[in-house]
Amino acid sequence: MAIATVSAQLGRQRVFDVLFRGATRAFAGLVLLLLGGVMVALGVGAWPAFSHFGPAFLTSTAWNPVNDQYGALPAIFGTLMTSLIAMLIGVPLAVGVAVFLTELCPPLFRRPIGTMIELLAAVPSIIYGIWGLFVLAPFLQLTVQPFLIDLLGDIPVIGVLFEGPPLGLGMLTAGFILAMMVLPFITAVVRDVFLTVPSVLRESAYGIGATTSEVVRSIVVPYTRTGIIGGVMLGLGRALGETMAVTFVIGNAHEIHASLFAPGTTISATLANEFTEAVTPLYVSSLFALGFILFVITFLVLAAAKLMLLQLERRAGT
Amino acid sequence: MTMDYSDATAPTPPPKSVPVKPVSDPMPPRQAKTLPNLTPQIATAAPATTAAAKLVVKCEVRDLRFYYKQFEALKGINLTLHDKRVTAFIGPSGCGKSTLLRVLNRIYELYPDQRAKGEVLVDGRNILDPGQDLNLLRAKIGMVFQKPTPFPMSIYDNVAFGIRLYETLRSRELDERVEEALQRAALWNEVKDKLRQSGLSLSGGQQQRLCIARAIAVKPEILLLDEPASALDPISTQRIEELIAELKSDYCIVIVTHNMQQAARSSDYTAFMYLGSLIEFDETEAIFTHPSQKQTEDYITGRFG
Repeated sequence: MAIATVSAQLGRQRVFDVLFRGATRAFAGLVLLLLGGVMVALGVGAWPAFSHFGPAFLTSTAWNPVNDQYGALPAIFGTLMTSLIAMLIGVPLAVGVAVFLTELCPPLFRRPIGTMIELLAAVPSIIYGIWGLFVLAPFLQLTVQPFLIDLLGDIPVIGVLFEGPPLGLGMLTAGFILAMMVLPFITAVVRDVFLTVPSVLRESAYGIGATTSEVVRSIVVPYTRTGIIGGVMLGLGRALGETMAVTFVIGNAHEIHASLFAPGTTISATLANEFTEAVTPLYVSSLFALGFILFVITFLVLAAAKLMLLQLERRAGT
Repeated sequence: MTMDYSDATAPTPPPKSVPVKPVSDPMPPRQAKTLPNLTPQIATAAPATTAAAKLVVKCEVRDLRFYYKQFEALKGINLTLHDKRVTAFIGPSGCGKSTLLRVLNRIYELYPDQRAKGEVLVDGRNILDPGQDLNLLRAKIGMVFQKPTPFPMSIYDNVAFGIRLYETLRSRELDERVEEALQRAALWNEVKDKLRQSGLSLSGGQQQRLCIARAIAVKPEILLLDEPASALDPISTQRIEELIAELKSDYCIVIVTHNMQQAARSSDYTAFMYLGSLIEFDETEAIFTHPSQKQTEDYITGRFG
């Protein structure tokens, strides 16, 4: 009798266990399914454009809905360029903030400042867009850009970057906004990995007379290199895909200019702007193709990050 | 009940150059009574360095009090550290021996809630003075921690790290300094063929000797060892102790240890601390053969702690 009860209970538990295992497996499978589904849907939608234009779609700068001519290069260029600017501005800032928060900040302010930086991440991107359009762009146009043009515009090689009229809207503005948007993400990650440095390691560096900057440069940063790269890649992934704020300030022109002040476009800005206007099937398909390319780019960035981390780990292991 | 060594020899002589009389026991009759309890091999193992001629005061701690927030972790410590001698701090966990060590290079300053009061004179200068340059102080007073702490860089760079902070040497000279430090730390033969490998690739005992090499590469005057062998196996521990004996000829060495045999084997002076007070400070041989305080005797005979 007792044994029968126990075995019945065991049976129930086994059934539950099987169900549980099946359910979790299904959840995990769902993620793969979704990812695959998105990939396939994008590919199917993009196929007409790819087959019509061939590989030239990637290298063409034409974007002419009237003649149904489409090329992805300006959007790809804009996407990579704005993200690059964002990283150049955002990463040093974020690392600097993280160093301050973990190494130098009086404990009283540590939490408030950290929280405020995290709150930057909570600001909706549309707010950044509005702010960028109405506040940052005029400021850059009237103050920063004329100054940069005067200062650097005549220097032979890099002068090209600062040519043209100060429009306010363009690559540089978009890069600024993106830098602000990725700042909290990178800062949070970098700060957290800085905190993983064992205090004895820090103490032993201070213990032979290193200053704070020497400890940060020689100990903290090398020790946490993989984590920092992870944070940067997280930020980069966001910057590549960010849509609303960039759409507001990039100028939305399918052009490629060397100048940072020139208007341009990004893949996501193009998609956001033009889906409602896309009337011909080829137009729609070209937009799908852009989306597919963005997907591939972000995938490549993530893969590169993983590879880099693996390599670093291998080197640290020897 | 605290035996105040510096008071016993007061007035304190000016630092360096002036030889200090070795500590003699203040209460001989009592010690005779407590002698039989102690294991004889400890007594014989204590180094007989007291006969050595010059005894130079390197560091003098005067009425040192230390606080973690409100908690008083050191309650008025007075003691003298001699150059070219090994001083061991022993005592049960939480007695303040590591805290005392951490005051000597002011590493505690990294933490805002910790502060020290009193005087710590190194070569006659009070290092607790707010005007003291901390980086210079720490370059002069090396520290090795309980766990090996190799920096995330090559073996060579680990040792060169401290040298590069303060000296600009040509690469040949730097090579020599690195080799010299590794030789002195008895590590050279094991790593000379893999100087470019990560310091993390070494075994625990090797890592600890690497840390000692790193500490002595900057030619400090005082070497602070915070339980340097507690995370190591017996063979590595023995090597570290041999190393201490070897380094003693050049440095003033302070070692915190939980291992009383280690204190007895490798030190010339021993300070026994309990609950933030210095209970007894004397020559190691005296502490381990005829301690003047009951608490010391109880501790070293294993009756508590």
